[in-house]
Amino acid sequence: AAAGLCPCRVLLSRRGGALRVLRGSMQGLAAGPETHFGFQTVTEAERREKIYQVFESVAKKYDIMNDSMTLGIHRVWKDILMHKMNPSPGTLLLDVAGGTGDIAFRFLNYVRSVRERQLQLKLRRHQNLSWQEISESYQEDKFNSLGDSQVVVCDINKEMLKVGKQKAQHLGYSEGLSWVLGNAEELPFDDDKFDVYTIAFGIRNVTRIDLALQEAYRVLKPGGRFLCLEFSHVSNPLLSRLYDLYSFQVIPVLGEVIAGDWKSYQYLVESIRRFPPQEELKAMIEDAGFFKVDYQNLNSGIVAIHSGFKL
Amino acid sequence: AVAAAAAGGLRRAGWRLWRGRAAARCQLCPPQRALQASALLRRSSDQQQKEPFASSSQQQFDSHPTHHQPEQEAQGPRPSYTGQGGQESEDYESEEQLQHRILAAALDFVPEHGWTAEAIAEGAKSLGLSVAAAGMFHSDGSELVLHFVAECNTRLAELLEQEQKRVQLGEAEKKPTDQFLREAVEARLRMLIPYIEKWPQALSILLLPHNIPSSLNLLSTMIDDILHYAGDQSTDFNWYTRRAVLTGIYNTTELVMMQDSSPDFEDTWRFLENRVTDAMNMKDTAQQVQSTGEAVVQGLMGAAVTVSNTDTCRVVR
Repeated sequence: AAAGLCPCRVLLSRRGGALRVLRGSMQGLAAGPETHFGFQTVTEAERREKIYQVFESVAKKYDIMNDSMTLGIHRVWKDILMHKMNPSPGTLLLDVAGGTGDIAFRFLNYVRSVRERQLQLKLRRHQNLSWQEISESYQEDKFNSLGDSQVVVCDINKEMLKVGKQKAQHLGYSEGLSWVLGNAEELPFDDDKFDVYTIAFGIRNVTRIDLALQEAYRVLKPGGRFLCLEFSHVSNPLLSRLYDLYSFQVIPVLGEVIAGDWKSYQYLVESIRRFPPQEELKAMIEDAGFFKVDYQNLNSGIVAIHSGFKL
Repeated sequence: AVAAAAAGGLRRAGWRLWRGRAAARCQLCPPQRALQASALLRRSSDQQQKEPFASSSQQQFDSHPTHHQPEQEAQGPRPSYTGQGGQESEDYESEEQLQHRILAAALDFVPEHGWTAEAIAEGAKSLGLSVAAAGMFHSDGSELVLHFVAECNTRLAELLEQEQKRVQLGEAEKKPTDQFLREAVEARLRMLIPYIEKWPQALSILLLPHNIPSSLNLLSTMIDDILHYAGDQSTDFNWYTRRAVLTGIYNTTELVMMQDSSPDFEDTWRFLENRVTDAMNMKDTAQQVQSTGEAVVQGLMGAAVTVSNTDTCRVVR
């Protein structure tokens, strides 16, 4: 009961709206179980609240910080994820915790180039058509440069989605892209809808990972693929020590200098340490019902891509 | 959350030990984890039977508040290959069977898309699965080609087996060796005809370094089968020479078939006939060469002895 009252008091003291207080009181009993926020111990509701605020405050500088912390290597990681996915035109992608749209934009580029190659091959085969048929084929493909592929970007944080939408407009992505506000633990989609579900650097911030995995299983079509790109456990001891040094000494300083927010980046590096290692995450994914679960370490474990199929 | 994970982990570890499974990557695991969840893989008639199992496993786990998920690897009443439900095990499919089905379906799309991941994706789509299921396979289409070659070899073995049975039952005459080999290779190569346009691509895929062990294995097994049914019982070096020769014949004929445009590949079969005849004659020729060689050597030796004797005689005289 004391734990139930605690989050309410905490919520009241913040600059929250009346809605949040109500939500807090209703969730009062559900906020019971203790969990971690970085290296602190908090209740689940507190954790959700804190993480929301972390991303609210870093949203505008998210991309710049990504580039400076990982020295731009996060782009390569995301490209590798896209190559592993190898989507064919007509794929429906759900990118959860996709905030600023990195994965979504890469997906659209990829299917566009695959589609172009497909069309080129098709045209090369049709060497003996009449002019009429050729012009018809051009017309029907003009509106199909993506081949009916679509990506839905879902994020729990309004600020991140706002930044993502602005980026899309700025870079000129309009087709095949939609933005949805939603919680990974409770997705606002029907069952058996998507071909691929990705969550890049987001599952770490989900409070109940098992629920998120269950939801992923639910919204995927039979045969659909689950892909998770996340920071993971480095097994090499020398590299691990260097990595720890870099994480705890350099990254929060960068956070303060570039984004003016030491605490959020302290949370980031702590949350990486608290996240389950590769084999454990693989077991959790298998528990959710996925088959052929496998992982690929990038940079000897700094980042890992987990993949599973709903069969 | 940590305790729950640890408890879950212990349970999983214990379960794995109990099932004698190494805690290694999934690919090495035996295909005992049947695919329950998808309606696709169940036969509809047995769906009612499955419901009580699913609900009973649910009840087991409801009493464990820390264990959020009913493990799909249900213990005890799970009607898999290890369980008591003997008849139920046929309704579940293992991952490998599903992969076989996808590859088999993908073969229909090869003439259009080639031996690529696209064909596999279309195959998966035709089975009602998502196109993303093609991600289970290598992105260069290797598994599709290897699957097809393995299937052709199996079919060939069946054909040869039936042929042998007919001969044993007296329904057919035993063919002479060269005719047998010729017809076996022709039968095997005819299986390529539906895919002949894209077969060069398949050959190049088979020659990729990471595929060479598998493709060589398949090739040698096939040649072995043919020679076995041809009645080859050699236990000396001939075993190797025969197989090497037949492999050579098969590969060259395959290449000739690639660019043969005659009706029903007549040129290819004529080429094959000539090569087989050459191989048959080679044995006789080898023997002839050997005896001729021996004769020549003896002649030379005799001449040398004569010359040396003559010289000695001259000296003595």
